[in-house]
Amino acid sequence: MIKFSNVSLIYPTSTKTILEDLSFSIVEGELVLVIGSTGTGKTSLLQLINGLVPHHTGGILAGDITVDGISTKLVRPGELAHLVGIVGQNPAQGFVTDTVEEELAFGMEALNLAPDLMRKRVEEILDLLALAHLRNRAISTLSGGEQQRVAIGSALVMHPKVLVLDEPTSALDPIAAEEVLSILHRLVHDLSLTVVIAEHRLERVIGFADRIIHISGDGNAKIDLPEIILKDANIAPPIVHLARALGLSDVGLNVRDVRRMTEKIREIGKEVDNVLPTLGAERILAKDLTIKYGSSVVLKSLSVTVRAGEIVALMGRNGAGKSSLLTALVGLQKPTSGTSHICGTASTYLKGKVRRETVGFIPQEPSDLLYGQSVVGECQQGDKDNKIAPGTTFALLQRIVPSIGPDTHPSDLSEGQRLALALAIVLSAQPQVLILDEPTRGLDYQSKALLVALLRNFSKELGRCVLIATHDVELVAELADRVIFLADGEIVADGPTLDILLSSPAFAPQVAKVMSPRRWLTVADVIAAMEA
Amino acid sequence: MKSLHPLTWWIWSLLIVGAVIATNSAWVAGFAIAVAAISVHQFAEDAPWAKSFWFSLRLGAIILVIRTVIGVLIGVPIPGTALFSIPILPLPSWIAGIRIGGVVTQERLLSSIHEGLIIIAVICLFGAAVSLTSPHKLLRVTPVVIYEFGVATVIATSALPQLVQSIGRIRRARTLRGDENPSWRSIAIPLLEDSLSRSLELAAAMDSRGYGVSRKRSRYRPIAWQQIDSIVLASGLFAFALALVAR
Repeated sequence: MIKFSNVSLIYPTSTKTILEDLSFSIVEGELVLVIGSTGTGKTSLLQLINGLVPHHTGGILAGDITVDGISTKLVRPGELAHLVGIVGQNPAQGFVTDTVEEELAFGMEALNLAPDLMRKRVEEILDLLALAHLRNRAISTLSGGEQQRVAIGSALVMHPKVLVLDEPTSALDPIAAEEVLSILHRLVHDLSLTVVIAEHRLERVIGFADRIIHISGDGNAKIDLPEIILKDANIAPPIVHLARALGLSDVGLNVRDVRRMTEKIREIGKEVDNVLPTLGAERILAKDLTIKYGSSVVLKSLSVTVRAGEIVALMGRNGAGKSSLLTALVGLQKPTSGTSHICGTASTYLKGKVRRETVGFIPQEPSDLLYGQSVVGECQQGDKDNKIAPGTTFALLQRIVPSIGPDTHPSDLSEGQRLALALAIVLSAQPQVLILDEPTRGLDYQSKALLVALLRNFSKELGRCVLIATHDVELVAELADRVIFLADGEIVADGPTLDILLSSPAFAPQVAKVMSPRRWLTVADVIAAMEA
Repeated sequence: MKSLHPLTWWIWSLLIVGAVIATNSAWVAGFAIAVAAISVHQFAEDAPWAKSFWFSLRLGAIILVIRTVIGVLIGVPIPGTALFSIPILPLPSWIAGIRIGGVVTQERLLSSIHEGLIIIAVICLFGAAVSLTSPHKLLRVTPVVIYEFGVATVIATSALPQLVQSIGRIRRARTLRGDENPSWRSIAIPLLEDSLSRSLELAAAMDSRGYGVSRKRSRYRPIAWQQIDSIVLASGLFAFALALVAR
């Protein structure tokens, strides 16, 4: 179905080869997973399939790519629209209409399909992706997860033979991600759809993949069965790390297999104690927060307290009100009623230097914080704002991502590098409170480990408080002391990470599922228990 | 209220622009700006691009000030009532006919403001059309033939709305970074960059969804021409006709 013959790709402004002499073919009805560290060219590889690279991005392409026998070099991306459906990394930037129904119909209208056929297909997709209740909503008012489902729907509605997805589950909560992936799995098996997915959260997709393409970053790429690639790849889900740490002979790819291999281990080993952090003064104090948009109530009289030295994770399904709560806490949005104080000051009154030193906020799109023309320019602005020695912010950034080029434009950075830049700027003011909205979107395991170390250090050594809204259960298991669980604008659970994560299987990390009923969340927990 | 046909406000704006230019009167220009402001205030939906009009109004005001200052300083003197006098800058003899400084007459000042107001009216009416129409809907009704110009069409219709959204985004970023009153200079280039790259992304997205491939487009929900569209259009036509007669 898709055939790459001796494909090499290089962008004119860069000296690095993205892909070098890559040849492989994907047969019909195969689900192929593309993995690689951030910034290695996964997105480029995906966009080569429908010709967006090089038709829209420029770049020098050698070799040939054919999709269903059509060479992408010879036709415009639009002429492959009936054949290839593509969902970008950031669906919000790819929407071309205003409401859900119009968005679903757009591609079919462009291809001049008959109106009654369009109606039928739109209804099918609305049901398939559980979007029916949102059909007339304006897309800009949907939550990140809902937007993701609309984007997938508008690609599926064209009945393409190939579906290309760039991190389709990064904005979805674990349950929604599971639903979307099982729909794809069904389409692959029922209709022999060919699917190519790039994803960082391997724990979510690994069970569905037929083969893996591993891009190593130096231009080389390997394609093989998951078991073989994951045996020695540096990118691996927690379950593989568990198998490696325990010295198991085989790499299991799903919970069932690894459970069978670790029966003995579950019987020995000590329980880990629930270590509670020493807490300082109240830093975030919100009382009876209510937010209404028109007639819909997003937050219902919600109260939250976070203390110094504490790392709190805010979890919940898509559209539960997490982002609204965060924007109200930092004072970007005035609540309909209720108050929010940070370090004793009402958050809407925080201005200038005091704001920088009190609260740092990293929004869902880290690029929303950036407006300079180069990495070094952004860092200088940070130095100037906070009146610290020139170069301090850049030094901090280099500690997080050593490879970053000082003259790179922020929009040319990879998702992970952009987050690091935003984080360095925010941290250069040494805020008392750090709030992050979905920080692990687009981050590979390596950058995630760095983020965990950095945040833990920031919170524990300096006694600062950190609040993270996230869907990433693995991150929560590694990092958080306490979890607040939101549903429908209300707090439904609030307690130590261990208790909350183990109470529902959907939100349990992979290691916990393997080790159940033992109360271990991470590979480190299991190792500690073995040694005790 | 159900939204109007995407072309209604554009045609209406063009007609009013025609009326303003035909009468060539500052009073008509001022009146047109007021009418546009009221229409935007009344009919604009709560959408990001709805702020385009107020942005264009501000842009117009800046242009008026710059134009008036330059118009008064440089150019051919117009005789009349002298208001005040500024020293004449000596210029080399080979650019005869151009003068910088000198006596500023009332006629000179008025003609500068007069021309400026007409330019503002044109800019504001364009802004009003952008404010009142979803750029996405407008793209859906543009004939596919125009898409031969491809990316340019998308950028032309979506650049101003994107620019206005980018201003909001950058202002939010500066608030978060504790810098409430940034200088215009520091955000002008990121602003243009941001809005252009978003327009390009929109063009790429439309291309990969098959826009412009088929010469004919079918309609999922036909965009109907309603009575209210005719009323708005009739008011524009009436104004234009009146301007032609009154000229």
